[in-house]
Amino acid sequence: MFEKIELAQGVTLYVRPTTQFKTISFSFKFRTALTAQVAAERTVLTNVLQHSNAAYPTTAAYRSALDDLYGAVLYFDTAKKGTTHTLYMNAEIVNDQYLSHEAVFEPMIEVMKSALFAPNLANGEFKPAIVTREKKIVEERIEAVFDDKARFAQKRLMEILRPNHPASISANGTVAEVNAITPTSLYAAYQNMLQHDSVDIYVVGDVDVASMVATMKEAFPFTARTPVTEQRSTTPQSAEFRYVREQQTMKQGKLHIGFSTPVRFGDDDFAAMQVFNGIFGGYAHSKLFMNVREKESLAYYASSAYASHHGLVFVTSGIEAINEEKAFTLIKQQLNGMAKGDISEREMTQTKAMLKNQLREALDSARGQIEVYDQYKDLKEPFTVEAWSQKWQNVTVQEVAKMAQQMQLEAAYFLSGREEA
Amino acid sequence: MKELYFEQLEERLYYEKMTNGLDVYILPKKGFSKTYATFTTKYGSVDRMFTPLGEKEPITVPDGIAHFLEHKMFEKEDEDVFQKFSEQGASANAFTSFTRTSYLFSATDQLYQNTATLLDFVQSPYFTEETVNKEKGIIGQEITMYDDQPSWRLYFGAIENMYHKNPVKIDIAGTIESIDKITAQHLYTCYHTFYHPSNMLLFIIGAVNPQEMMDFVRQNQASKTFAPVTPIERFFESEPTDVAIKHRTLQMDVQKPKVYVGLKAREVSLQGKAMLKHELAMDIAMELLFGRTSAFYERLYDEGLVDETYDAGFMLEHGYGFALIGTDTHEPQRFIEEVKKELARLSAGLALKESDVAREKRKQIGSMLRQFNYIEFIANQFTRYAFNDMNLFDVVPMLEEITIADIEAAFASIEGESQQTSFVIEPLGDNV
Repeated sequence: MFEKIELAQGVTLYVRPTTQFKTISFSFKFRTALTAQVAAERTVLTNVLQHSNAAYPTTAAYRSALDDLYGAVLYFDTAKKGTTHTLYMNAEIVNDQYLSHEAVFEPMIEVMKSALFAPNLANGEFKPAIVTREKKIVEERIEAVFDDKARFAQKRLMEILRPNHPASISANGTVAEVNAITPTSLYAAYQNMLQHDSVDIYVVGDVDVASMVATMKEAFPFTARTPVTEQRSTTPQSAEFRYVREQQTMKQGKLHIGFSTPVRFGDDDFAAMQVFNGIFGGYAHSKLFMNVREKESLAYYASSAYASHHGLVFVTSGIEAINEEKAFTLIKQQLNGMAKGDISEREMTQTKAMLKNQLREALDSARGQIEVYDQYKDLKEPFTVEAWSQKWQNVTVQEVAKMAQQMQLEAAYFLSGREEA
Repeated sequence: MKELYFEQLEERLYYEKMTNGLDVYILPKKGFSKTYATFTTKYGSVDRMFTPLGEKEPITVPDGIAHFLEHKMFEKEDEDVFQKFSEQGASANAFTSFTRTSYLFSATDQLYQNTATLLDFVQSPYFTEETVNKEKGIIGQEITMYDDQPSWRLYFGAIENMYHKNPVKIDIAGTIESIDKITAQHLYTCYHTFYHPSNMLLFIIGAVNPQEMMDFVRQNQASKTFAPVTPIERFFESEPTDVAIKHRTLQMDVQKPKVYVGLKAREVSLQGKAMLKHELAMDIAMELLFGRTSAFYERLYDEGLVDETYDAGFMLEHGYGFALIGTDTHEPQRFIEEVKKELARLSAGLALKESDVAREKRKQIGSMLRQFNYIEFIANQFTRYAFNDMNLFDVVPMLEEITIADIEAAFASIEGESQQTSFVIEPLGDNV
């Protein structure tokens, strides 16, 4: 679906010409190995680059320039996948053909160049006042996880499951790592990113491939670098089942359970594992939804998620605290039933249909096309919806049961309200 | 079937009113593989006092009933509707707002089967005391989940401060106590009153053939019988113009205080083009005066008084409307004072510049074009506009028409100290 053009070693452009959208979307992805320090530096960097640059030295000037280009969108953020960290710059502009008198493509290329290559510096490093301010913003963003009890419970489960491991490192880093940043170290991190990171650039819209290649080569002349390779995430020596209970001033109990599976993204059993997760707790027809919610009325939500890069499956549910044991037992019963082959043909049909629908739907947005392709592009065979649908189609009840048998209960975390004072 | 072409957006919309009164809109989008359909009734949490279909005396129903009804629509005597949609490869969902209840699916396959499922399940109510009581546990947990969310509590806290009587101040899902009173009979009463096709709108967008789909919907509707079309009588207590409560605080287990300044709108009676002009003018005003390019925001950000959670916006429906300006901040009182000082300064005149207004309009036009990539946005917004006699496709031409005088006139709706309130969520044990 994308045309792939290597601009330099470790620097790749992916272009998808299409008339489906009224806009042109860009995504620049800078990748390196994930550590808490890298995550912290890159996150503060996104904030600093988002704040201003040499061409637009104040936030108001910067945003006004974008507004002038018919509300062009430009933002930086960070993400992680497996053992790698990504800093990305995403942009979107209205296609010139919808604007009767004006062109925004060329000016937007200039704005993106300034955003990436012309930061707002003083004495060869980032301005201390801006760095201090944005460090504080990022620290408070990290701390704000505490205010969202479901996110907080998931964070705690990850810390218990995989301490000091890429699986539990936040894409924003930690407060301590953010605090350690100085204008000098941040500038070094920025230079390091531009010079050494793997760079993938995506463009989706009504564009001509040849002229896009020429434009991007000239505007973003990244030099050759050694591409970062995704390492297989490690699984620690199996330890005893850990169950941690904590309390805060709140009403609903949050039950988060962590399982491990040997199956990772791209493994032979990956498709079977996706079908397993769908039947277990991935959809509204799943075992967890039908039993924990519909049958027993214990929860408003009860679902499972498969973190394929780390071989982990999470079950999350919001329940009344007195129902903790009942819910946990019910969840384990669903898994045990599946391991014994209690899986109907209907559940298989439903889940395969939903997986296929979800993938095809994702491709109906430019951002979805970029993210799906970015995820699947490193696999051996070329990605097509049909090929993946066929893989799911081939999965049998026995294979799904085998996935359930391989699930290892590792840890659980229960967050609930304090006894009334 | 009528065809409407919108040249600037290059979109073609097809419309037909069914003989039972249902409004059907179909918008084919080239290049898309999915289709998104919403089936919406003009009935939400604010509709709690009304005359039931076929009766003479108005009644008041328990709070949270529209949302409760939405949940119960998915359960039938012989099956769960989610199961059926899943089998047909469709993602189904529903939501209830203050003024609407919407049922929807998106699918890349079996379009007609899924459309029939959507129409049929919403048009065949099935409630028993047993299933109604079982749902109370599930919705109880949904209410508890929202009770723990500071941003939700902040939003409702600000609205409760603004309104004396208007039911917009009641949580959409109701309370554990109010939903406990709901019976199957209540659900049937609400259903028969508000789910008549003449109170509903079907919007289908994406990979769809308009002629074939319109025929399909027409046949589906013709095979069912409905009561004759009768206007719905809804009642609202009269609402004073000023805010009900000037300030409140709530303690929760949070890291950093959160604050909203609410500005209650005086002008809440508009519909149609006048409403569209008013709300677009207000959006421009809020962006220019309190948005992220405003001098106000930039100063407060540089002083560390606001952070990236800062937000300023305006919302309007028939009967209520308000602006909210808020942020997480360590100094909520100072933030409130700064907003009020700025409002006092603006009361002498907004002093808007033509160039700023022109830029803001360009931004909004571009944003509208961008949103037209998202079929979910088009379906949901189109429905909201239609229920207020507005047309989503009028937004761009209307934006071009708006003048500085329009913006100043609109902003007057929220000016004055009598319209101002504030709500703060503070960490436990703090004294703000």
